[in-house]
Amino acid sequence: MKFRYLPLGAVAIGFVLLGSVSPAHADIPGTDDCQASGTWLDDGLVVFAETDGGVYTIPDSDTVAWEGSVAAPPGEYSGEIWLEMPPPFAGWSIDSWGGDSDNTGNDGTYEYDFPSWVPAGVEFDVKGEHFDENGGCSGTIAFELDGGPFDSPATFVALAVTLLFAILTGLALKPLFVGGA
Amino acid sequence: MTYGRVVLSAILAMFLFLFIAADLVLFGVIPLNSVIVTVLPLVGLVVGALLGVMARKRNPDAMPEEPTPAAA
Repeated sequence: MKFRYLPLGAVAIGFVLLGSVSPAHADIPGTDDCQASGTWLDDGLVVFAETDGGVYTIPDSDTVAWEGSVAAPPGEYSGEIWLEMPPPFAGWSIDSWGGDSDNTGNDGTYEYDFPSWVPAGVEFDVKGEHFDENGGCSGTIAFELDGGPFDSPATFVALAVTLLFAILTGLALKPLFVGGA
Repeated sequence: MTYGRVVLSAILAMFLFLFIAADLVLFGVIPLNSVIVTVLPLVGLVVGALLGVMARKRNPDAMPEEPTPAAA
């Protein structure tokens, strides 16, 4: 049985379950002694879930070597990782996992390549949680794609639409600007 | 009396503020999951409606005339 542990998808694409602002070797918040790390093979970035690194800047394409573990055989386990969206929208699920296993760790590699329209320089929060028979843990990591706002065509589209609605709103409120009768 | 200008202003301002919020996200001023992204369109809705009311009062001649009785 393939056992996918801590956020496979998370670590795989660089979204490691991140612990709180805590000293090295501290655990990810929770009762399960979760640990995870990821290494960007081309970029050289190394992220340990136990260390708060602020906002991680990652390249738009790379291969991540990831690993995750818990302290004791988990038994039945489940978890999910998701992209936080503005309230009241629900998070956008990136990956989830579940099953029954006695393995305490897993590792692998994941290659990703974001399309060019994904905006760079935008801070995203990715949250993850893992539960098994010994407890659970959860964490958050903030990241952004390397680059500037004008690297993505989405920025030009958003600016153009903003200008369009500014003009339309101005026309609708024209009496305020030209004076009434 | 119609409220067409008020409704139109409110809707347009809501979208204007929504895309201003999107611009703020895209330029890295606020994170994607910021509550500002949610609040700004609502602010736009209210501000647009208020400005629409003011515009309507400022220019009553532009509003459609109310139907008058055929025989006065």
